[in-house]
Amino acid sequence: MSELLVIKNLHASIQDKEILRGVNLTIRAGEVHAIMGPNGAGKSTLSAVLTGNPQYEVTEGEVWLKGKNLLQMPPEQRAREGVFLSFQYPVEIPGVSMVNFMRTAVNEKRKYEGKEPLSATDFLRLMREKKKLLEMADKLNNRSVNEGFSGGEKKKNEIFQMAMLEPCLSILDETDSGLDIDALRIVADGVNRLKTPDNSSIVITHYQRLLDYIVPDFVHVLANGQIVKTGGKELALELEEKGYAEFE
Amino acid sequence: MLNLNKDEHKELVFFNEPDLSLHITQQEGSSLRIVVVDCSVAAADEPRSAAHTLEIHHAGTNCRTEIYVLAYLKRKDCVRTYTRMHHDIGGGVSKQVIKYVLADEAQGEFMGELKIMPNAQQVSAEQTNRNLLLSEHATMRTRPQLEIYADDVKAGHGATTGQLDESALFYMQQRGIDPTMARQMLVQAFMQDIMDAISDDTLRDAYCKRLTE
Repeated sequence: MSELLVIKNLHASIQDKEILRGVNLTIRAGEVHAIMGPNGAGKSTLSAVLTGNPQYEVTEGEVWLKGKNLLQMPPEQRAREGVFLSFQYPVEIPGVSMVNFMRTAVNEKRKYEGKEPLSATDFLRLMREKKKLLEMADKLNNRSVNEGFSGGEKKKNEIFQMAMLEPCLSILDETDSGLDIDALRIVADGVNRLKTPDNSSIVITHYQRLLDYIVPDFVHVLANGQIVKTGGKELALELEEKGYAEFE
Repeated sequence: MLNLNKDEHKELVFFNEPDLSLHITQQEGSSLRIVVVDCSVAAADEPRSAAHTLEIHHAGTNCRTEIYVLAYLKRKDCVRTYTRMHHDIGGGVSKQVIKYVLADEAQGEFMGELKIMPNAQQVSAEQTNRNLLLSEHATMRTRPQLEIYADDVKAGHGATTGQLDESALFYMQQRGIDPTMARQMLVQAFMQDIMDAISDDTLRDAYCKRLTE
């Protein structure tokens, strides 16, 4: 299997406070990696840095996506290269309709890939098809992005956008937080159905629960800004039982 | 001076008027909607400067007034808006939404006088002023002025001035949208409700196009 993402000795800080202190991680195509760890370990920082959030500064290290230097790309280019973040707190954008937002995003990516923009009919058909995957309501199209959505609807909407954009690397940041068991099942089902031998996921979670539904190939423990332990899916169960005390 | 007869309905739309001075008296049951839109013109040599005064009196009961103002200004352009909404008689409804989007060194001013006279009971009046500053050199002055002399009324006002939501910008970039386009979409979203107040589709589409040129 080919290497999709290579992170080497990644250091990052926010407002001069160092959060990541040398993260090393290699993800091959088709793999699901879970990143677990205590609060404040740097889990969300890792997702922010990989997507180019301007609030964080990378002070050392390298990140390669399919052999390309990811850290040199602006956030929108990383997205068009196939990096997708399911936000822990999806942002509400009043006045921008889902259909306008999604059409712009999909067509920007297509333009980057040298493809023609989708016609209105093809685009709406695609929306309809992907909405079914997440059991989402038809009236979604004209609603403003995330505005007035419940916690569960917001998370479903993230995975819906993931389905629309077909990323090669999706990062699910605490996607399970704020979800009841039914919504969790729908979201996890969606993620599993989107899985192909060519795309990979990083699943960031504090709890083992989500990993019952999205089964990881590897589980990593992130503590104090470093990956301190790596194992198979059984590691998640062990962490659930023992907690993170030994890493803190 | 303009008079709206009993139960008459009127919608007035103004786009890039040099200086506007309206004085309108409404009679019983009449309804009035005013939409004023200003935007910077790309090819202009001189900075644009305009002052709009809208004075409305409810002289009869059960009148309705809606005032929508939008100014999207660039360079050193300056537009001032003065509204005087006078409820002289009760049972009326007024709604004012004033929005400014200011880039570069543009300047804006809004003064909104809302008067509810002593015998104007059961009035519902609302005044909202929202301003978006796209540059640190743009300035907005806003002065709501409420004078309420009746006690059985519902009157509300709010004024906010802020910048584009950085977290929304990043969210859009994370979906592959170019930041320049993302900003445009957010600005358009901010202005949309004012443009939607223009009921003539053709007119609205034409003005929306000129706004984003």
